[in-house]
Amino acid sequence: MIAGAGAARNPIDCDSMTLLLFLLRRIIQLIPALIGITIVAFLLLRVLPGDPASLLIGARGSEADVVMLRHQLGLDAPLWQQYLTFLGDVLNGSFGQSLVQRRPVALVIAERFSPTILLVVYATMLAVVITLPLATLSAVKRGSLIDLGIQAFFVAVMSMPTFWLGVLLILLFGIKVPLFPVAGYGQGFLDRLWHLFLPALVIALGTSALTIRSLRSSLIAVRSAEFVDTARSKGLSEGEVLRRHIMRNSLISTVSVLSVHTSWVIGGTVVIEAVFALPGMGNLLVTSVFSRDYPVVQGLTVVFALLVMLISVLTDLAYAAIDPRIRLQ
Amino acid sequence: MRNSLIVALLGLMTIGAGSADAWAQGSERFRLGIFADAQSLDPIATSDNPSIWSQLLIYDTLIRPARDGTKLEPGLAESWTSNADGTEFVFKLRDAKFSDGTQVTVDDVIASLKRAQSDQSNWKRFFKPISRMEAVDARTVKIALDKPFTPLLNNLALFSAAILPAKQLQEKGASFFEKPIGSGPFMLKNWARGSKIELAANPNYWQKGKPSVKEVDIMVIGEDNSRVLQLQAGQIDAMINVPVNQIKSIASSGDITAKVAPVYRIDLVQLNTREKPLDNEKVRQALNYAIDKEGIIQGLLFGTGTPAVSSMPVMRYHNTALKPYPHDPEKAKALLKDAGLPDGFSMTMLVQSGDTTFQQVGAAIQANLQDVGVKTELQLIESGAQWDTTKSGKYQASLSYATSDTVDPDQLIGFTAVNPERADAFHTEWKSDRLNELYDKERVTADGPEREKMFQEMEQIVHDGSPFIFLYNKGATYAYRNNVEGFEVLPTSNWRLEDVVVK
Repeated sequence: MIAGAGAARNPIDCDSMTLLLFLLRRIIQLIPALIGITIVAFLLLRVLPGDPASLLIGARGSEADVVMLRHQLGLDAPLWQQYLTFLGDVLNGSFGQSLVQRRPVALVIAERFSPTILLVVYATMLAVVITLPLATLSAVKRGSLIDLGIQAFFVAVMSMPTFWLGVLLILLFGIKVPLFPVAGYGQGFLDRLWHLFLPALVIALGTSALTIRSLRSSLIAVRSAEFVDTARSKGLSEGEVLRRHIMRNSLISTVSVLSVHTSWVIGGTVVIEAVFALPGMGNLLVTSVFSRDYPVVQGLTVVFALLVMLISVLTDLAYAAIDPRIRLQ
Repeated sequence: MRNSLIVALLGLMTIGAGSADAWAQGSERFRLGIFADAQSLDPIATSDNPSIWSQLLIYDTLIRPARDGTKLEPGLAESWTSNADGTEFVFKLRDAKFSDGTQVTVDDVIASLKRAQSDQSNWKRFFKPISRMEAVDARTVKIALDKPFTPLLNNLALFSAAILPAKQLQEKGASFFEKPIGSGPFMLKNWARGSKIELAANPNYWQKGKPSVKEVDIMVIGEDNSRVLQLQAGQIDAMINVPVNQIKSIASSGDITAKVAPVYRIDLVQLNTREKPLDNEKVRQALNYAIDKEGIIQGLLFGTGTPAVSSMPVMRYHNTALKPYPHDPEKAKALLKDAGLPDGFSMTMLVQSGDTTFQQVGAAIQANLQDVGVKTELQLIESGAQWDTTKSGKYQASLSYATSDTVDPDQLIGFTAVNPERADAFHTEWKSDRLNELYDKERVTADGPEREKMFQEMEQIVHDGSPFIFLYNKGATYAYRNNVEGFEVLPTSNWRLEDVVVK
């Protein structure tokens, strides 16, 4: 095996042209995928039983009123025409009008964007903070009581439904020992970090359960590699060997796990947002599906798709940063 | 990097401890936890309860239901009169101002009601009978109808008849409702969508000395358990929709009071009378006898309901002589035998998914029906799809409910029992010519004993015809911390927060 990554130059700094080309290529690749996603989202919604106009009018109007509202909302136009209108709305950035709120979808989603993003970023950072020391400890003290304890704890966490874990944490840190608010989003950045701590922790614990496992086994495998012996024989301290050689070479698979899981979390914050009363996109998605607010659901689908693609790009960049043998192409 | 994160985390925890007492303040502010955010503050475009409730705090109507829901009382109009045949109503406006200080004028009234009956209104049917409106003088408005329409006064007490400042609405168009102005007790300060609606007391409110709280936060907390936990932690002062199984436990700590308010809501099973054997009245009555309503109310609703006699909740003009179908499986079996079904039959019942109570009640109904030989298969269905499915007539039975927006029974009887009218008797396709005739008459008969008799006869006809399995009138649960006074859920399901005092 080739010796470790520590001293290598950083390919991102040295070659910004490559980076630019890489990003451009990824964006171009994105377009057909996005069109596919919009078509699927559009058609799935139309297949779903239930009609926005009759849900809006409900028991209050007659069939004639419903027909008139459908016409006003443009829901009686042929499907291909509705789809083209939707594409046009995406291109002009408004994403259309919400059928229920009667405001531009872009505005409706923008208001709900930051809680979800803040929550996901916060949870991912917490997961990293939890994973690095615990996985290292587990690997170094392999087979010890500490190792077994860490593994048992996270198996327990993983097998608990998130809403249950959420309610448990609320009871413990919101009511018994009131360190954190029971729910809500707060105002101002620090206040929000405080409000989001418990929900982010619930997600982070779930993520950590996976990443600790993955990092622990990589660390154990890499520790016995020949280049690690070489590094030790150079006279590096055990800490430096761990940090510069073992950790770097172990991170790749954990970054993959983290990226896949975070993509999943983006669409999966629904439950956490409900338990902690957070005004995020997950919550908006659920209410919009129930009221058949087609343009909002379509808009959210596009936003979620973009975010997942963004994560995959960031993951590729992270690979390259961790391991210079990986080139951006 | 790792170290700085840990430091940041420790920092967070100390901030947490520091501001923990910041939530415990009170008296000036009332925080109410509800289950969903309002969709819009445009009164002619909405029909979801959170929107309606918020609108009723911000806007006024000419007249409004009294607190007890039995009659109408003055709102923006301090008095009103009508001519003998009920085709002309004259409203005298009180001296009231919108929250921005401008006077509420007759022109505002006329423009708002015209908007409510226009084609852009989801509620136009309620105001269509108005044919002319004119200003008699600066404070008096006359509303004229081509023919009598008794429910009109109740409809004018609906949120959708809210009086808005005409000029501003005209100038701002749809954006008016981003920061609306009304003459109600509160005004919109800030709306963090999906999170909370912050209201401030309207300094120009016409009722002197009200509201007593300076601010109201309507907090959106979708999860029932989270709402309960927030109330217990003192992060909110009151909440609605307490899960029925927690009504007792929530009050056990001693600083919270939980209550059940009777509201205009009826839970029932729609029976599709297009389908055999549900087209047979005897079969439908048998199903009514088969259900142990009291058992369901005690066992599943924890006593928060009363058995129903018809598709009408207990409200004005209720027929008190009617008794609920008793739980009598033998009678049910005998009726089925009479109908030529000694071995019972099988049917499928739609039950709304995602609602625990509905699913439990559905299972109880299934068990009760099994006892009389009717095999019922439960089919879970999402609420939006349920409505469309029953509307299309492709179902046999469907567990559902109906609510009234007004204190007059006209709206609910029209919806649940008149065919075709608006909904083919709530999608059952059941039809009684006598009831249809009474409905037409009731709408042109002035309020009084004569109209009361018509409603009582209609309720009797629905009871006998049994297009539904009549289940129960489910109460609305709510709870508040004991330093709160004057918070209650009204029969119309909304609340008047101008009377709330936080100590």
